[in-house]
Amino acid sequence: MDAVAIDRVTKRFDSVAAVQDLSLRVEQGAVFGLLGPNGAGKTTSLRMIMNILVPDEGAVQVMGQAVSARTQDLIGYLPEERGLYRRMKVREALVFLAAIKGLSEGEAGRRVGEWLERLELAAWAEKKINDLSKGMQQKAQFISAVVHRPALLILDEPFAGLDPVNAAIIKDIMLDLREKGSTIILSTHRMEQVEMMCDAICLVNHGRSVLAGDLRAIKKSYGKNTLRLEYEGADKFLERPDVVEKVNRFGAVVEAKLRPGADSQEILKAAVADGVRLTRFELVEPPLNDIFIEKVSTANA
Amino acid sequence: MRKIFLIIKREYLTRIRSRGFIISTVGLPLFSAGIIAISIALATRPSDHTLRISILDNLGGISGQIVAGLQGNLPNGKPRYEIVKILDRPASEEEARRQLNDQIRAGELEGFIEVPKDVLDGKSASFYTSNTGDFSTLGAVGKAIDNAVVERRLSDRGIHVDDLPKLVHGVDMTMVKVSKSGETEEKGQTFIVGFSIVMVLYITLLVYGVATMRSVVEEKTTRIIEILASSVKPVHLLTGKILGVAAVGFTQYLIWGACGLLLSGYGSAMASAVRPGSSMPDIHVPTSLLVYAVIFFVVSYLLYASLYAALGAMVSSEEEMQQVQLPVTLIIVVGFILYPVIVRDANSVTSVIISMIPFFAPILMVLRIALQTPPFWQIALCILISLLTTLGIVQVSSKIYRVGILMYGKRPSVVELLKWLRYT
Repeated sequence: MDAVAIDRVTKRFDSVAAVQDLSLRVEQGAVFGLLGPNGAGKTTSLRMIMNILVPDEGAVQVMGQAVSARTQDLIGYLPEERGLYRRMKVREALVFLAAIKGLSEGEAGRRVGEWLERLELAAWAEKKINDLSKGMQQKAQFISAVVHRPALLILDEPFAGLDPVNAAIIKDIMLDLREKGSTIILSTHRMEQVEMMCDAICLVNHGRSVLAGDLRAIKKSYGKNTLRLEYEGADKFLERPDVVEKVNRFGAVVEAKLRPGADSQEILKAAVADGVRLTRFELVEPPLNDIFIEKVSTANA
Repeated sequence: MRKIFLIIKREYLTRIRSRGFIISTVGLPLFSAGIIAISIALATRPSDHTLRISILDNLGGISGQIVAGLQGNLPNGKPRYEIVKILDRPASEEEARRQLNDQIRAGELEGFIEVPKDVLDGKSASFYTSNTGDFSTLGAVGKAIDNAVVERRLSDRGIHVDDLPKLVHGVDMTMVKVSKSGETEEKGQTFIVGFSIVMVLYITLLVYGVATMRSVVEEKTTRIIEILASSVKPVHLLTGKILGVAAVGFTQYLIWGACGLLLSGYGSAMASAVRPGSSMPDIHVPTSLLVYAVIFFVVSYLLYASLYAALGAMVSSEEEMQQVQLPVTLIIVVGFILYPVIVRDANSVTSVIISMIPFFAPILMVLRIALQTPPFWQIALCILISLLTTLGIVQVSSKIYRVGILMYGKRPSVVELLKWLRYT
């Protein structure tokens, strides 16, 4: 049984198709990256999984059941646009949100208490949400997504606005929940997070799936066609249009995408000939960032 | 069902604990009582020093009775009025008037009373003063002259003033209302009762309609609506919200009603203590009127609350909310300002037609029922029309709500709204 199965779904608004003939499967227990440029149809897809929107064509299943009011309670959601009842107290607001996910109010109160302890918000439980700092509000909202132990957790940009310490706390909780059997759908533009956390991805563009599957397999299919370099000296040795297709400079690190069939040794020779001091010369699979850009820009061209 | 209850509970508790609710619940009665008390106190507050007054008596011999009517002391024990001089039939009225005016200008007098020669035939008396804003003195002086003149007229005809109350005691009138159902009810305050009920309906529709809209906009602007929509059906959310706000209104009326009962009880106790045998007027509200008022209120509250909720769902900010609420608010206001048409003739064709319009029915039909109960078929038809309209509006509103809560940015045009209705 898949955690999510979207089968040939189309959703139109007026005549514009926000999602078109989209199929995807999220394996249970996976961390799944739902990627795509702005306006690609990610939010529409997520809303159909959560039964906020109903597809015009096709079917959506969550945990083996057609989506319904019942499946809604199996899902925890952290929307990209954050917000809680500003004038409510933290504990009260979270208990309410847990209760409408199906927990009894007693159980909701107990679990909210535990989570507030765990995220170091216990001292703020009786404060109004408005009185919390932005980071604390983010953590409070994260609690609202996980407090009912959802089988499926949908996180939209979960690390946005968090400092490294809090981001690490949230990441550990995500991995812990996954350990305990939850499936996580991660929607983000931060490709390095996807590379570190996701098992499988689906890249949507213009409402269609343009790339889907196991992340390792996808990267492997591109082969080791990228040189990751660190060096001191002039970068004239990279000006070899016959070998290098594209150069990406990140400051300390430079990535050079090689032409199909090109030999990386050519670059090494040129560097040595130029007297460049190489501290790193690594042939790697292309970063997801490049795959994303390539897929999206070829589709748009 | 459980989720609707949770929504109602949250809406109710957060509102009832809010500062706004406490202030309006306690504040409104206090405020209105305070305004009344202050205006009475200001209007009737006597000056705090003795007023020096002269009397120019052109009739002759009436000043004694006027002086007798101007007795009494100030709170500080000094006499209220000091009669400086009485000019009984002076040689020259003009000369006397000029002198007295000069004295007022010189600050030696606060004012003088002039009684004309033919005052007994209805000529008006005058009070000359530098302070024409002092109505309490004008009232006292007027009363004193009034009594003196009446007494003089009576004694001229050989009647003693003490016999007067017996002679002029009138006949009390009771109005008896004849209604179709055959019963006759005593109706002293029909209009006041009808108008008060309509006033309450009017204010409630406005205040709690707008409160419902605010609540929708708040959930939209804080984006919490995304989480709610992923947990609860929008129609349940809307239902819970409308019922929750209604419960708050109901609570507020219970509190005000209880205060009103206490106060009127206190009022009659005070009245009978001050003057034994008297009591507060007994206001009788027919049960049928109350039942109809409740029916119309419930139906129209649903109509307006869902309409306001739909408006709230169309906008993305508080500022926009101010603009879109205007048309609906106007409909309620128009319904209210049409009430004189009903009062003039509750059964005219115009009255029948405008009271049948579902948007006005809660105000105009209820007023008609209070004034001159219309035929039952009209009431039944009106309830039916209102109910059907409300069902339709709730359908349309909940669709707009369902789509609107997830839309941000530009406010939808009418064409877009029509498209929203077709979304699944």
